[in-house]
Amino acid sequence: MKTRYSIPLAFIVLASLFGCQKKLTEDPKANLTPVNYLKTQADLDAAVASIYAKYAVDGAYAFTNKSTSYFGADDLTTDPGLNKGDMRAFDQLNGSSGNTSMQAQWNGPWTAIYQANNVITNYKQVSSTDLLKNQAVGQAYFLRAWGYYNLVRTFGQVPLIDKVISVDDRPARSSVSDVYTLIVNDLKIAKRLLPTSFPGQPGRANQLAARSMLADVYLTMAGWPLKKTDSYALAATEADSVIQSNTYSLVNDYGTVFTTNNNSESVFAIQFNVGGGSPNRTFGSSSVPLDEVASNGSSGWDDYYPEINFFLNAPKCARTDATFYTTLKLIQPDKSFKLVPWSSSETHAGHPYYKKFRAGVNDGVIETATGIQGINPSTNKTTDIIRYPLVLLDYAEASAMSSGGPSAAAYAAINKVRVRAGLPNLTPGLSATDFQKAVVNERGYEFAGEFGIRWFDIVRLQMLPEIIAARGDKENPINFTGDISQRYIAPIPQNEMYRNPSWTQNPGY
Amino acid sequence: MKRFLFMLLVCCITLNGYASVVHLKGYKSAFLVAQVSGKVKDDKGNPLAGVSVKVQGSTTVALTDINGVFKVQAPDGATLIFTYVGFEDQKVVLNGQTTLAITLVEKTIGLNEVVAVGYGIQQKRDVTGATSTVTAREIAKRPLVRVEQALQGTTAGVTVSSNSGQPGAGLSVKIRGANSITGSTDPLYVIDGYIGGNIESITPSDIQSLEILKDASATAIYGSRGANGVVLITTKTGKVGKPVVSINTWFSKASIPKELDLMNAYDFARTVNAQFATTGNPAAFSDADLAGFKNKPGTDWQRAVQQKPWIRNYQADVSGGSDNVNYLVSFNHLDQPGLILNQYYKRTTFRANLGIKLNDRMDVKINLTTLLPQSRNTGYQGDITDPFAQSSQWDPTSPIRDASGNYIFKSKYASNQINPVAQANNQQVDVSSTNITGTGVFTYRILNDLTLTSNNTYETQSQLTQTLYGLNTGLGLVGGDYAAVESGKYRSYQTSDFLTYKKKLGDHSLTVTALYEFSSRENTGVKAQANNLSSYALGYYNLGLGATQLTTSNYYEDALQSFMGRVNYTYKDKYLLTASVRSDGSSHLTQKYSTFPSLAVGWNAARERFIQKLDIFSDLKLRASWGKTGNQAVGAYATIPQYVSGSPAYYFDGVKPSVATPLGSPVSNTLKWETTTTTDAGLDVSFFSGRLTFTADAYHKKITNLLYNYQAPYYLGGGLYQRNIGSLDNKGIEFALGGTPLVGKVKWSTNFTISFNRNRVVDLGGLDNVVVNNIGSAQNGVAILKIGKPLGEFYGYQFLGTWKTSEAAQAAQFGMKPGDAKYTDVNGDHKYTSDDLMPIGNGSPKYSFGFINDVSYGNFTLSFMFQGTYGNQIYSGTIPYTLGGLGDARNATSTTALSIWTPTNETNNPTFSSTSQNFINSSRFVYNASYIKLKNLSLGYTIPTAVLSRVGIRSLEIYVSGQNIWTITKYPGYDPEVSNSTNAITQGLETGVIPNPKTYTVGLRATL
Repeated sequence: MKTRYSIPLAFIVLASLFGCQKKLTEDPKANLTPVNYLKTQADLDAAVASIYAKYAVDGAYAFTNKSTSYFGADDLTTDPGLNKGDMRAFDQLNGSSGNTSMQAQWNGPWTAIYQANNVITNYKQVSSTDLLKNQAVGQAYFLRAWGYYNLVRTFGQVPLIDKVISVDDRPARSSVSDVYTLIVNDLKIAKRLLPTSFPGQPGRANQLAARSMLADVYLTMAGWPLKKTDSYALAATEADSVIQSNTYSLVNDYGTVFTTNNNSESVFAIQFNVGGGSPNRTFGSSSVPLDEVASNGSSGWDDYYPEINFFLNAPKCARTDATFYTTLKLIQPDKSFKLVPWSSSETHAGHPYYKKFRAGVNDGVIETATGIQGINPSTNKTTDIIRYPLVLLDYAEASAMSSGGPSAAAYAAINKVRVRAGLPNLTPGLSATDFQKAVVNERGYEFAGEFGIRWFDIVRLQMLPEIIAARGDKENPINFTGDISQRYIAPIPQNEMYRNPSWTQNPGY
Repeated sequence: MKRFLFMLLVCCITLNGYASVVHLKGYKSAFLVAQVSGKVKDDKGNPLAGVSVKVQGSTTVALTDINGVFKVQAPDGATLIFTYVGFEDQKVVLNGQTTLAITLVEKTIGLNEVVAVGYGIQQKRDVTGATSTVTAREIAKRPLVRVEQALQGTTAGVTVSSNSGQPGAGLSVKIRGANSITGSTDPLYVIDGYIGGNIESITPSDIQSLEILKDASATAIYGSRGANGVVLITTKTGKVGKPVVSINTWFSKASIPKELDLMNAYDFARTVNAQFATTGNPAAFSDADLAGFKNKPGTDWQRAVQQKPWIRNYQADVSGGSDNVNYLVSFNHLDQPGLILNQYYKRTTFRANLGIKLNDRMDVKINLTTLLPQSRNTGYQGDITDPFAQSSQWDPTSPIRDASGNYIFKSKYASNQINPVAQANNQQVDVSSTNITGTGVFTYRILNDLTLTSNNTYETQSQLTQTLYGLNTGLGLVGGDYAAVESGKYRSYQTSDFLTYKKKLGDHSLTVTALYEFSSRENTGVKAQANNLSSYALGYYNLGLGATQLTTSNYYEDALQSFMGRVNYTYKDKYLLTASVRSDGSSHLTQKYSTFPSLAVGWNAARERFIQKLDIFSDLKLRASWGKTGNQAVGAYATIPQYVSGSPAYYFDGVKPSVATPLGSPVSNTLKWETTTTTDAGLDVSFFSGRLTFTADAYHKKITNLLYNYQAPYYLGGGLYQRNIGSLDNKGIEFALGGTPLVGKVKWSTNFTISFNRNRVVDLGGLDNVVVNNIGSAQNGVAILKIGKPLGEFYGYQFLGTWKTSEAAQAAQFGMKPGDAKYTDVNGDHKYTSDDLMPIGNGSPKYSFGFINDVSYGNFTLSFMFQGTYGNQIYSGTIPYTLGGLGDARNATSTTALSIWTPTNETNNPTFSSTSQNFINSSRFVYNASYIKLKNLSLGYTIPTAVLSRVGIRSLEIYVSGQNIWTITKYPGYDPEVSNSTNAITQGLETGVIPNPKTYTVGLRATL
């Protein structure tokens, strides 16, 4: 009886001991690793796409109200109460390192730079043609430069990381000047490697985008804090090369710029696709007043709108009409709409709003002159980072400042923008500084509410005292009690300070 | 289906429910064989059916019938042995009697009992480790849904808390504090030898015993998985005898134990107006609106999202056996709707336990379990999509539906999220799975002293998750509507093969165990998601309707190979020694093998003559142990850098997707297991023949190579990566006091356990502190790990109330006005900045306790159990949102807003102000969370057997009970027991999770 079972039993024991043994080495069959990945051109393309994708999220540049430091400017303000504390703090020049929304301005560019560094460090190992590899890495250089350009303007000194580094490395913050050196070098490389266009793929940064970006960088370097005035000339040259390429032209109707994607004046834009899980939230609900409720029940988020005096000082022109939203449509119990002016006591905020950020590509606010059918927060609208008018105005200012006064070409550049806006030509014969003032004012209204252009003008030209002086008494009061000159840069997010114990926070925070 | 099975079981049993006498082989004897008869009762006088009556030295066995009556052929002078599960054996020597009246005494786990110790069993008195036992009888007292509940309040050193009142949710179990800040702090569950088995598959009524192994002497044999303590679960087996059918059915009415004090429509409306007035905005509600609200309270959203369901549990099993085969087959069905609309958990479990004696030397045991759980919407996390969390933030002036019966999705006031009733009713996250676990144990006694055991388990699980967020959900309103189906297949295999050598030589007795073990797991998953379906008429059943599609899949596999040796040595049954060493090789680590040793000694002092002379102790044992265990908090592939797939594509022309594969988080390739070194000293003592028992243990656990999911700086991508960052100390003492103060007509037994644990961060790899971020909406360091401080330390601003009118000048230095929030300005710079953050409370209790009592009188039994914690705090993430001005909560809903600061009534609730800084991470939201709960109160009645025997029922008990019906606490939130964080660092952080239900239960237990 004993032996009857012994043999099968012994077999089972042996089978269980040895039958299922596997080595203890890991084979991640479903995961891409450096062992099996970034070997082909397709791999490289996917790595480059991921740099762009990191910019196109709420936690980066898909949502104006996450760019809270820009609220220090006069083209952006928010509600005095409600849930707008993060934006309001910077509007009151009283932002802190703990500001949750502001983290997007830090996290967004860094996560993209991390991806760009991966491409720049590893692209050579890919088996493909030099042409394709150079086009890929050229975009990485462009996108890295753009990330650093935003970081250095927003936060001042940041660490310079130009390759994939070890997990335990905690580099120190580099000087602002060193950061600009990297930005300029990257853009020069991008300019050299990139083609003038990527047919059928307007979302890719091309050589002209790199030149335009470089012009803007040089213009900024001429202002605070570097004040390298010799870079005005460099800015003018770069911008002029884009103008001379005759690649871009202004869209006739200003309003159409904000309801079409990749139009004739778009030099570089972030692309979105709602269905693909990357919606743009800068357009649609975000800039719609709290008071406005559509007939389908959707309502405005009331995140951002212009300061009253900024609106009141706008030149009377078609551009202004297309920019601002001044008659609110209030739904009535019978679902009809009552039209009231922005200043009416029936409105919650008593402010004008932005019109140009409402429609998206007809997928944001769905409305007629007398009613609102729907208000959607997620749109497929691109966010233009560089529009051709920026190149024109960069050129106008830079050339005037580099040659002691505006040339005819400088006037031609700004007048192109003014004429499209529905304004007369600029008074001729202005001095260099008066001309610069005129250009900066033009930029303010041409790019009102757009991606920090106004705020960074205020920063590079140190305009806060005059901006505060022009602020109306219906705005959120400036309750910051310290040194206003410390408000041009934002604090490093507190979380990141914790992760880098050797860093010192920006003064005043 | 379940009804049919139930009927089948009932029919089978009724046919067999009468008296029987089993004659096996004849009995050869020089004596005259006579018929002996008698009756067996328990100590309450109830007849016991199915008691085995064996004539010692023969193969004659009889069983008692339903009236406890037996008849057996036995010679005079023979010894009859009466055995019955759950009762002490009794021997009677026949001395001329032919009728016997036998009273069996119920078993209590004493020092002479046999307990499971992992890879074997041991007599309780020989155990050198710190262990506790929970028996089937203890489990039967409460209507338990999950195994972990059986540990709550019953065992010293074990803290059980419910993370959420979601139906079917698991409970967090901590044995002797937290041993990890990254990995799970739950103990290792070993089910009939299967390590890491799925405890969801265990129906509480199927459990014979739970052994809780607490110190390293007991747990080191589980090596790299033993650091959190081990719970050994032994399931029931059939006993020799005719089939016995047990039925255990109960019904519970559940409800939310508490609601927050929120404003009605009128108060809310005037508060919004007051808030708008302070910022110069026009009134939101007209006088006419206000007058209208005076007559109707508006919508009570907390009530609107709730339901008060009946929870139903049906359990039936049949068990029995002969000399060569024993069996137990059980069926359980639980139907547990949630406390929130459109939420449920259902579970069906089948179990078949079969034991076969092949011959004198070989046994085979086969346990097979099938688990079929099904749930809907049980994954609420307290975030902005959670209808329960939203229900305290929604506008009471808004009706649920408009005049035509359609949902009103949004309101202009209070929460900016979707109507929580619409969300609850319109979202569907349906999870169903099939889990089959089979364990086969072969035992072969090769020599009289040497036994080979091979324990093999195969588990397979298929899971299907079907998700629908249609147009009428929060996602749908913002164009993010989708349907998805996710399917996964998991399998796990384990073989444990060990030799046990047992030898007794005079006063020396020795047991040696040598083990080889191998286990591997594999998981394959695929997910298909369709966005923006053209029609939702087919729900999640046809993803082809999606405008865009996303498909992802995943796979992992891992393996663990181990060797273990253990020696148990006792001398004169007085001096005990246990030594073990285990070596674990894991696929997860770069350096594969780690070693975990342990050593323990014990002294049965009660066996010393000088102690016996004192005549005080019925038992006295002293124990001491030391050992190392590990915590497998490193996942598969954690040391391999990876690219991320399945993230959103980029659209270079806005239309055509280009795949994006970003580089993932950086990894550290030098990871080691966390190692816990435990030293324990303990004492087991009992007095008055075991009527009073006392156990005390003191321990020191040092956790080194502490693993932490460190967040990378954003220039390194910002993701999480694991690092061994330091070490942690846990020190504690625990006591269990048990007794039977009354044994007469009124019987009272009682058990009190209390445990104290202190932990302290000792080292953080050169850093002084690590701030823990990203909890709920408060992303700026709500918790901190700091050297010298315990885990669970909250971090934030110290709230000092409001600036008073008399302090206007001081307030102005901060840019503030009277009525604004005031905090401690640590560095005196007249600004509230990150430099002013400080520890503001702690979520780990100073002690926790349980107090269990059973009082019986005649056929009535009253049981009650209190359980509680002391000295812990909760940081509420729910309450700040009810004050408005935060995240998507625009206006206040809490009645606190009715008592905000005014110039004439200077309260400490900050006023509405655009200069006030209302930090979410502030001590304002830290509350004392000590509590005492009446976890269970139960009254049972056992129907007299005289009544039952006429209808063929062996026993029947009916009971009514209540759970969580009474709580003493100062905590103003929903439930002090519930916090949504299972992580030890962030324990005590609560962010809007569903509280434990208060339930009232009626039930019956019957055997046929």
